[in-house]
Amino acid sequence: MTQYQKPLPEPSSLTQPFWDGVKQHKLLVQKCSSCSKLRHTPKPLCPHCLSQEFTWAPLSGQGQLYSYTVMHRSPAPSFDGDLPYVVALVELKEGIRMISNLVHCPLDKVRVGMPVKVVYEDVTKEASIFKFAPA
Amino acid sequence: MKDLLKKAAIVGIYQTAQTRAFGRRSSEMFIEVVKGVLDDAGMSVKEVDGLIGPNPLATEGEARGFPSTAFSEFFGTHIRYTQQTPAGTQTGSMGVLHAVEAVAAGLAQAVIVPNVGGREGPGVVGRDEWESPYGLPRVAYYGMMARKHMAEYGTTSAQLARVAVIARKHAALNPAAVMHSRGPITVEDVLDSRMIYDPLHLLDCCIVNEGAGAVLVTTAERARSLKHKPVHVLGLAESFAIMDLYNVPSLTATDGRGTGQDAFAMAGVSHADIDVAQISDHFTINPIIELEDLGFCKKGDGGPYVESGVLELGGKMPMNTNGGYLSHSHSGGPGIYDIIELVRQLRGEAGARQVRNASVGLFHGVGGMFNSAHTAILARE
Repeated sequence: MTQYQKPLPEPSSLTQPFWDGVKQHKLLVQKCSSCSKLRHTPKPLCPHCLSQEFTWAPLSGQGQLYSYTVMHRSPAPSFDGDLPYVVALVELKEGIRMISNLVHCPLDKVRVGMPVKVVYEDVTKEASIFKFAPA
Repeated sequence: MKDLLKKAAIVGIYQTAQTRAFGRRSSEMFIEVVKGVLDDAGMSVKEVDGLIGPNPLATEGEARGFPSTAFSEFFGTHIRYTQQTPAGTQTGSMGVLHAVEAVAAGLAQAVIVPNVGGREGPGVVGRDEWESPYGLPRVAYYGMMARKHMAEYGTTSAQLARVAVIARKHAALNPAAVMHSRGPITVEDVLDSRMIYDPLHLLDCCIVNEGAGAVLVTTAERARSLKHKPVHVLGLAESFAIMDLYNVPSLTATDGRGTGQDAFAMAGVSHADIDVAQISDHFTINPIIELEDLGFCKKGDGGPYVESGVLELGGKMPMNTNGGYLSHSHSGGPGIYDIIELVRQLRGEAGARQVRNASVGLFHGVGGMFNSAHTAILARE
């Protein structure tokens, strides 16, 4: 197997639990312990009530394609082989949006609003990333 | 506030040659724009007591941490007022507005706002852990904005292309524009250019180039005895609300709704009063969204609006008469060139691209991925 060349997430102490979740094939986001609102990407305090207390809550992994772009020019040589590929902004059922790739979908079938679900790729022994596929 | 702002005036503008050949030292361009803007105004550097912006001459030793002190030493003046205005491509233009505020408030007599930019542009991989694993350079967000606008409002690729066509038409009349010698383009040319971030083609994207510019602001009183008719800022507003695009209420609307309203209200002018506009055009989708947010057309109608002819020379409110970021220059913080162009138009110095009797101009810029927005309304005295 050839080595995985693409950039891997370099989590901070704040974001480590998110990526640990992905490793276990879970999408975890911060849930404010005070006002119960979900937030992503991880932040040290809740923008709604300024509480610094939170727990990690799992998301359904179900959502819709909020918008997307088809990349015809890659930002780094490690992505050249994937061109053209879809960068997706997914809106999960819980209202959280995430940047990812849409995979397992022919380009002519990609539509704003299409239902999608999370899929996981264990790209190295240590690291996993999440992507989305048609639901 | 308007009366207060009128105590300051933009009296000097200067830009270096904008070029796709990279290689000039930023320090060399910096010296050129400082001297150039003083000469344009007819002021001595001894009068300059304010600096807003970088100082590429201060790169070594202790000077690195004290760019304004180093400016005093290098140019033989005495800086007593300084600040930084980090706002991506809008750093320089925002600096000009802050210079106006500082001079109007009496904190400085003459503030210089230099802006120097070398190679920087699309294609850099996102360094962020949320983006780089997915092969997303941050600028590709604009592809997602364009796609969303198309899905929500039926905007077409031909309408996006029209923005590039207008920019090039104007650049063809501006010898200073990087794409001047390439001549006009058609909608078909844009649609036939290679796809970059679908639905954005190559010609839907701004150019990548080198260059520098500067603006000089002083008191209205001092302005009366200088070379050119002063230009005043009548209204301004800025906004820094959005960092993560994951969290925005909409991908097709920006903070420009608020800054536009506030700037118009402060200036006491209406949309119909605007003779010429500079609207930041990093990608062709941007002016479409920005013009909607500013209220020049209804939300969603930006596509038909850019096709209406209003925005071209000869139309009611020509936009980006220098050629914009798409065809004039996108070096460093290109918002500075928007201010420079409006001042040229308001002075009546825009040559073949002069808007007849231009007396009120509007500038609107977004920085980053809609991470900042600011609007200013300028007028000749």
